[in-house]
Amino acid sequence: MSYSVDISVEAPIENQIQEITYDGTEIYQPPLTISESLAKYAQKIDFSRVSDVDVKKEESNEDSKSDADSKDAFQSSLWPWDGVRNKLRSALQEVCVLADVLAIAKEKRYLVLDPVQQEPLETKPMVQIYARKKALAGNYICNSLTFLKLCIVGAANVLLAGAEKLKTSQNEAARNRTTMDFHIELLRLRQNWRLKKVSNTIIGDLSYRTAGSKYLQTGTFEVTKAEEEEKSSSPPSSPLPGGPAPVKPNSALRVSIPSELQGVAYIEVLCQKDQEDLCSANINLLGSGPPATNPDMHWQQKLEAAQNVLFCKELFNQLAKEAVQLQAPIPHMVVGNQIMATVLPGIQLIIGLCHSTTGDKKQQNPAPSKSDHDHVLEHSLHQLLREVHHKNTHIPFPHPATGPLGPSKKRMIAGPMAADRYELLEMTKTETLLEQIVKQAQHFIMRMRTEYVLDTIAKEIRDPLISSHWNTLNSPTQSCVKINISTHGYDAVCRTPLVIHVGEKSLKCICRDGKVMNMSYEPQELRDLIMCHINQHQILAVQALAKTMGWQALGNSNHLGTGSVEPLGNASSCLLSSPTGDRIIAVRCEPQAGTQVSVAHSPRSDFFPSRLVTERKWEHLGGQFRDVRLDKMEGRNFLHKMELLMASLTSNS
Amino acid sequence: MSIPRSLPQSKEALLKSYRTRLKDDVKSMLENFEEIVKLSKGEHDTQLSRMTQCEQDTYEMHVRAANIVRAGESLMKLVSDIKQYLILNDFPSVNEAITQNSKLFRTKQAECDQKLMSLRDDMAADLYDLEEEYYSSINK
Repeated sequence: MSYSVDISVEAPIENQIQEITYDGTEIYQPPLTISESLAKYAQKIDFSRVSDVDVKKEESNEDSKSDADSKDAFQSSLWPWDGVRNKLRSALQEVCVLADVLAIAKEKRYLVLDPVQQEPLETKPMVQIYARKKALAGNYICNSLTFLKLCIVGAANVLLAGAEKLKTSQNEAARNRTTMDFHIELLRLRQNWRLKKVSNTIIGDLSYRTAGSKYLQTGTFEVTKAEEEEKSSSPPSSPLPGGPAPVKPNSALRVSIPSELQGVAYIEVLCQKDQEDLCSANINLLGSGPPATNPDMHWQQKLEAAQNVLFCKELFNQLAKEAVQLQAPIPHMVVGNQIMATVLPGIQLIIGLCHSTTGDKKQQNPAPSKSDHDHVLEHSLHQLLREVHHKNTHIPFPHPATGPLGPSKKRMIAGPMAADRYELLEMTKTETLLEQIVKQAQHFIMRMRTEYVLDTIAKEIRDPLISSHWNTLNSPTQSCVKINISTHGYDAVCRTPLVIHVGEKSLKCICRDGKVMNMSYEPQELRDLIMCHINQHQILAVQALAKTMGWQALGNSNHLGTGSVEPLGNASSCLLSSPTGDRIIAVRCEPQAGTQVSVAHSPRSDFFPSRLVTERKWEHLGGQFRDVRLDKMEGRNFLHKMELLMASLTSNS
Repeated sequence: MSIPRSLPQSKEALLKSYRTRLKDDVKSMLENFEEIVKLSKGEHDTQLSRMTQCEQDTYEMHVRAANIVRAGESLMKLVSDIKQYLILNDFPSVNEAITQNSKLFRTKQAECDQKLMSLRDDMAADLYDLEEEYYSSINK
């Protein structure tokens, strides 16, 4: 025991070093005050263990006085412990109350617990309760729990309403499959048209600018979502008379087109001769489309109609510009929506732009007689502008990256190929649309005139058959007709073929013998030419026939100098002698007077010596010609008659 | 909360705005829901009278619920916007559609050309016969 050493355990006197400055001085932490050190120690206490002990203690002496536990439980009633104790006590109280409530509820004698219904229908009684509670608010009867419930139910209602809205819209979309989904429609639209988004709107472009058009007018349209009201109101609005599908699904998408592109437009081409229509063509890319103003129209049709309007406008604009610029011998006129150009003397080409925004088809419908218009002119105008567009986008290659755009490939190689001035000038010449269409119109009229002349001649002249065959291979400014002059039943004996090339302002005829005749646009010239050829054919046919009959052609002349002067061409003639040489037939064909046939006998069958002709031998020189009255003769046609005549004369000898 | 969509011009910014919108909306939903749950605890130590407090809670809950709904609808709008953006800017698919269309029209054109050619040949042959017949007949 004496060795026992007292060990004092105490905190070091030195305080903890807080900081050491650069000069070596140490800054100490200030010593803890009493309250701080108490708090520090209090932190080290394990409350869970302590409280457990407390609770057990309190449960064990439940009946003891409240004053006692405050003294017994804690030897020293320090302030920091007080809060802990209070919390514990209140917790104990709550647990006790809960235990009581559970006990009462379990016995079910005084209180029954019902599950609260989950349906939103509950809201109504709740609202009533809420109202009642509100009325009694002065008495502070209302329970905060009820109110909380009400609050939550109200919030739930808002949420449910929102969800309901979404659900109904979903159902709506699912139920009527007829109305397409906006986005699907938009996708379809996007696949066919150019669209872009500008701020909040979707803008589309229907102009031909990407296809090479340089027209300034923009073809923008706006895409919007179709409104619900429109959908509901659209079904009663008129199904078109004869409209094919009134059951078509309503589109969820609407396109709005600028007013200047609405409606129906077409270009009318008229060939006029002294205020009388020769032909007319209506250009309308869509043919007879439905009236454009119908709001029910599908967007595709609507956009196509608008594009058509734009196209027609561009075409007309281009034509009008050219009409003003071109230096024609007879200046073209541009008045309002009409361009007038003189095609041939006395014949005007009128190109008009018709654009109706009202959609009244009735007033535009021309007289039914006009309806058989020429689709070719219609189509070619269309084609011409397309070609211009195509040229604008398809620049000939190879093209140097630094080279200017535009010159043709031919001009590119003009330098290497050492083209001369004339060739270069030729290259720079380009035809405008108007020139081209005027040429086509000229050709059209030339063709019509040629057809008319050929048909009338064929009708007038029965004897040699004049048949014409139009070539199927032709171009807009060139066509070709083959004419065959033959006699019925004698096709093999002789036929006269002619080929006529119909150009823009002239005709070129290639005759049987290879001669080329150039004619102007006057139809009379062609008529005269064919008449001449008919005469020649008759003479040639007679000679050919004579050959087969054994007769001899003594001579022929296509341009006979004798006889009365013909108003056009010359008479042609031929002389034929019978195999024995005692009969001579003379044929004379005149374009105007027709054919004359004379017959001479030598020697005459009866001879009476006279004072001038004393001997019979002189009769062999040939006698007088006597006219044959062909119209009294038998035979279907001239050659037939001639055959009979020759046959009869041959047999007589 | 919703970002004005006129601002972003470049696509990058637009896509970013879509992302932020998505996050904001989802966050707003969550926050509002949490707030509602917190409110429903019902313990408030305030100086307001109980009645006023209840009314305030009610209105707050309503507004928060409405906020959730709004965020949901905003999400729907976002979906629709993204769809629209995809449709309008999906150039590969548009190109594909164009190629397909042009192929279709080319085949159609070839078909039409062929039909027209055969029709023309038939008509030319028939026309020749008819012309022959017409011009050699008596009734012209």
